[in-house]
Amino acid sequence: MEERLEDWLEEGYAVSYRTACLILGNQADAEEAVQEAFLRAWRFRDSLTSVPSIKPWLYRVVVNSCYSKLRQEIPHRDRRADDGPLSSLAAPDSDPAVCAQRSEVADTVLAALQRLPVSLRVPVVLRYYADLSERDIAVAIGRRQGTVKSRLHEARRRLAADPSMVTLAGDGAVDDSVEA
Amino acid sequence: MTLLDDEVLGALLHELGDSYAVPASGIADTLRRVRRGDDERSDPGPTARDDTGSDGPAPHTASGMIRSHRMLSAAAALIVLLALAGGAAVLGSTSPAPKTAVGLKPLNRALPPSTRHTPASSDSSAAKSSTSAPATRFGTAGPALGAPASANAPVTSSSPSLPAGAVGQPARIEQTGSLDLTVPRGALSSTVTKLTTLASTYDGFVANSQTQSNGSAGGAPNASVTLQVPVADFSALLAQAKSLGTTSALTTKATDVTGQYVDLQERITALEASRQQYLTIMAKATTIGDVLAVQAQLDTLQSQIEQLQGQLGVLQSETDYSTLTVSVSEAGRHHHRSPSPTVSGIVKAWHDSLHGFAVGVDGVIRLAGPALFALLCLAALVLGGRLTWRRLQRRSL
Repeated sequence: MEERLEDWLEEGYAVSYRTACLILGNQADAEEAVQEAFLRAWRFRDSLTSVPSIKPWLYRVVVNSCYSKLRQEIPHRDRRADDGPLSSLAAPDSDPAVCAQRSEVADTVLAALQRLPVSLRVPVVLRYYADLSERDIAVAIGRRQGTVKSRLHEARRRLAADPSMVTLAGDGAVDDSVEA
Repeated sequence: MTLLDDEVLGALLHELGDSYAVPASGIADTLRRVRRGDDERSDPGPTARDDTGSDGPAPHTASGMIRSHRMLSAAAALIVLLALAGGAAVLGSTSPAPKTAVGLKPLNRALPPSTRHTPASSDSSAAKSSTSAPATRFGTAGPALGAPASANAPVTSSSPSLPAGAVGQPARIEQTGSLDLTVPRGALSSTVTKLTTLASTYDGFVANSQTQSNGSAGGAPNASVTLQVPVADFSALLAQAKSLGTTSALTTKATDVTGQYVDLQERITALEASRQQYLTIMAKATTIGDVLAVQAQLDTLQSQIEQLQGQLGVLQSETDYSTLTVSVSEAGRHHHRSPSPTVSGIVKAWHDSLHGFAVGVDGVIRLAGPALFALLCLAALVLGGRLTWRRLQRRSL
């Protein structure tokens, strides 16, 4: 079991880190959260024997670590220095025009995502980035599947109503970005 | 309602998420710490937070511990408070003390402020109970007259000695009593005659007398005689009356009205002083208008004085003479005031049933308050426990 967990931690670090980035909106916080989550997971690895699937279990640890960050630390301090827009996130080999457009889309989507309440943001990230099923999301956030479904629906509705997303869709940037 | 397409949203988030560069050393550091079993509890060494140069608060283990302890302390305090409140509620619902306290109020209200102080020790004890008050006052001379008397309670024949008044004058006590006597058959009229004679013996009089040769509903002959004798002779009269037959019920009551008496006297004195002033003014009045105005005031004062004097006279009469109502019935038959023993089994069962129903309703009402309180406490505990359980579940992972 330890080897299996260790393998999963190694393989799942990147997606866990990026999931935490999307939830927290900050890379440094995400790095700390994932590190703490992995340490917690390792500490409680004995409970894995009673868990049917390791993936939602580990996501639950990551999500709880993010919750802990959001609840205990982030509200009590100034924003980190690297909380700025994702200006350098585009692939370095892209065309500058495309790169600028994708960067703008990414900033807009991230801002809209951060405007969602945490209770809606987490299911959205787990569903549309981590590709978890609704059942696994329910395990990860400790809620019923129906709750997950309703939260996803509400999150999609809010994102669609978000002014910046509406503008993005009106400019056709979303379609371009998706096609790219 | 517009919704974002799942595919579009997934693509956007994938693109956004994948654009985050994964730190090269992140996985290596984490796995290194994982492999050596390093965690924040056993090794407070350098952590990722230190690496990032965060200016945030201390690692959350300490704050989390503090929060946890604070939460546990709050929960413990809540439980202790609930237990205390519940205990108080249970004790409060069973303790008879409040009833005694409530019983004190009428006596205190009955006494005017001038008599609420306690010039003698007997007064302070008198405030303890409306029924024991006269017992204390008369206690120096013999057994309690005013105490709740049993049917065969011994009564002294000596006259009670009245204590000094609350304001430096003899106490004014209204003494009343009720005695139910059972006499042998054919002895009703002779008993009534003896009672009438007793009143004369003690310089009293018969205030009321009723005799029924055939009792109500075909019952035995009975009579009711109301005697009034000087207060000092009340206990002697009571003893003599009891000796005329078998006592089936005895009730005595003494009320201290010294305060009211003195209050009336003082008010009359004050009004008379005012009247004297007006008379002086009247002597100096020169115009008809002045005379009429003063005369109107004098008439009002005179009316008030006479009213108060009337009240004082009534009070004086009531306290000079005690009243004893003796109900006499012949043996073998039951007095009309006694509950009828000839009720059938069905009627008795019906009455018992009604009584049981009333007792049941009373019990339900009594239990409703504590039960509601207990339910609220339980709900609070369940809610708190559920929240705590959820929080602990999150923290444990």
